[in-house]
Amino acid sequence: MTEAVAAVEIEGVTKRFGEVVAVDNVDLAIGDGEFFALLGPSGCGKTTTLRMIAGLDLPTEGSLRIFGEEVGMAPPDRRPVNTVFQAYALFPHMTVRQNIEFGLRMRRVKNPELSQRVAEATGMVRLAGMEERRPDQLSGGQQQRVALARALVNQPKVLLLDEPLGALDLKLRQEMQQELKALQREVGITFVFVTHDQEEALAMSERIGVMSEGRLLQVGTPREIYDRPASRFVADFIGRTNILEASVESASTVRLDNGALIEAETSTPAGSRVAVSLRPERVRLQPHGTTAAEGSSLDGEVRDITYLGHAVVYEVAAGPVSIEVRVEGEVGEPFAAGDEVTVAWDRGAAAVVAD
Amino acid sequence: MSGVVEVGLGRRTRRGLAVWAWAVFAFLYVPIVVLVVFSFNASSRVNIWGGFSFQWYGEALRNDVITSAIRVSLIVALVSTVVSMVLGTAAALALDRYRFRGRRALDGTVYLPIVIPDITMAVMLLVFFAEAFKFIDSFGPRFTLGISTVALSHIAFNISFVCVVVRARLDQFDRTLEEAARDLYATGWQTFRRVTLPLIMPGVAAGGLLALTLSLDDVVISAFVSGPGSTTLPVYVFSSIRRGVTPELNAISTLMLTASIALVLGSLALQRRRASASQQTQIL
Repeated sequence: MTEAVAAVEIEGVTKRFGEVVAVDNVDLAIGDGEFFALLGPSGCGKTTTLRMIAGLDLPTEGSLRIFGEEVGMAPPDRRPVNTVFQAYALFPHMTVRQNIEFGLRMRRVKNPELSQRVAEATGMVRLAGMEERRPDQLSGGQQQRVALARALVNQPKVLLLDEPLGALDLKLRQEMQQELKALQREVGITFVFVTHDQEEALAMSERIGVMSEGRLLQVGTPREIYDRPASRFVADFIGRTNILEASVESASTVRLDNGALIEAETSTPAGSRVAVSLRPERVRLQPHGTTAAEGSSLDGEVRDITYLGHAVVYEVAAGPVSIEVRVEGEVGEPFAAGDEVTVAWDRGAAAVVAD
Repeated sequence: MSGVVEVGLGRRTRRGLAVWAWAVFAFLYVPIVVLVVFSFNASSRVNIWGGFSFQWYGEALRNDVITSAIRVSLIVALVSTVVSMVLGTAAALALDRYRFRGRRALDGTVYLPIVIPDITMAVMLLVFFAEAFKFIDSFGPRFTLGISTVALSHIAFNISFVCVVVRARLDQFDRTLEEAARDLYATGWQTFRRVTLPLIMPGVAAGGLLALTLSLDDVVISAFVSGPGSTTLPVYVFSSIRRGVTPELNAISTLMLTASIALVLGSLALQRRRASASQQTQIL
């Protein structure tokens, strides 16, 4: 990615709406053919970032390049990108075919090529036979496919998707996740999609950029983001986690605020205040007093047990802190509320995050 | 409904209310029925039935003054409708989308012609034309009241009505559709032409029909600003009624009634289509 030209390259981009800073000095490079997710809570600036790539909003400052070409201030019709809008924004007064043709007609593509490309796109999203229907005669999933075909028929270099699955129900959403991934492999172009759903981002994308309050906090593979969150916000936002206050003792140990010394790799200098993120499913419960051969442990008392069907969640009080432990695939509940237990985890399960 | 306990009004009260409703209905519509029936009266006495005949329709259409008035009415109605559709839609778009100096003031005053009394509007326009002519005449050409001042006056109030109807339509308009068009390489004009206009068209057309009806109906304003040879049909009817009601007037009034009903029904049909179209966008 450092060698080849990035599909999308954002450099020092800031977007202000009056006094409000929607996007704050963001740097980001998205590689050619990558499936990239912009993830964050609503109002974090992810949609504004996407809209700036599309040309629907213009950056206040900074530079934006698509395959090396500066497009920061170019109108949407001069960019090799197309967008799948959140609620699809299909033209209600046009048929499926007219919707899909729209971009080609605007670029004056003539007929043998026009109908051939429309047929190709229609087939790709499995909408053949529905060309003469109107959007309101289609189900949510079919409308989604029309929106995809309408964008892809233009053969954009980058496809932008704004919460593409947000309007679908859970089951359809999981199906479409697989379909979108397959589609992306098939067309081989860069997909940049915006979502507030962390599971969706983890499941679908090759890399994720986590945003909050206009800033890009961390960019990495789903595994990096989940296992090695760079900040307290990222750790907390992606999945569930236990955040324990601590200070750095050495490069391989930190001391929790309840006095316990645990093993954790960190590059933060000794003495600094940090937080330790401990995923509920990466820790286990043991009878009180048993210590692990390696890794770290804490003693505590079971406060509460929540049965979720596929998992059991124990809430363990270890001094002033409370730790959530998630146990899956175990028959019965070996511990009851009030039991003295030891919470243990392997080396590497605890991640030190900066404040 | 058997087995359901009826709560509320007793039987007698309900019957009484039904009679009342019919009485109100009769009060509204009997005069219209009388007018229509007597327009087909063969007798020249307005209030005595002398058999069925189309005679008075024939007489009315042979009367040069009446046909000229009909022609003036139609020209004024068509011109003022087309012009106010264009200007009213443009005003609605500007008020809906742009923040400009004086927008608030304009937003408040664009509806003024709808609420102020016709007679005020009529006097206002007459004074305006008198002053404007004085100014224009000082450069040489001479203008007088005529068909063009009637048309201008109708445009002046019709713009407001078109603007109101189109804005109601724009309120429900999903602007991401325009963004989608821009994203699919449409220029600003193409976006308007291919996406915005077709979607607000039911509103524009309904506003246009309303304008057409109002223009054909107007008496007060037209009477003030028309000159010799530019008498509209309603003004003619109003002035000749002082010489007594003639069967001819019944016939003309019936014609106007028919035209108005047709236009209102057309407008309602368009509004209904508009409503179902907006339901569709909501489903989207």
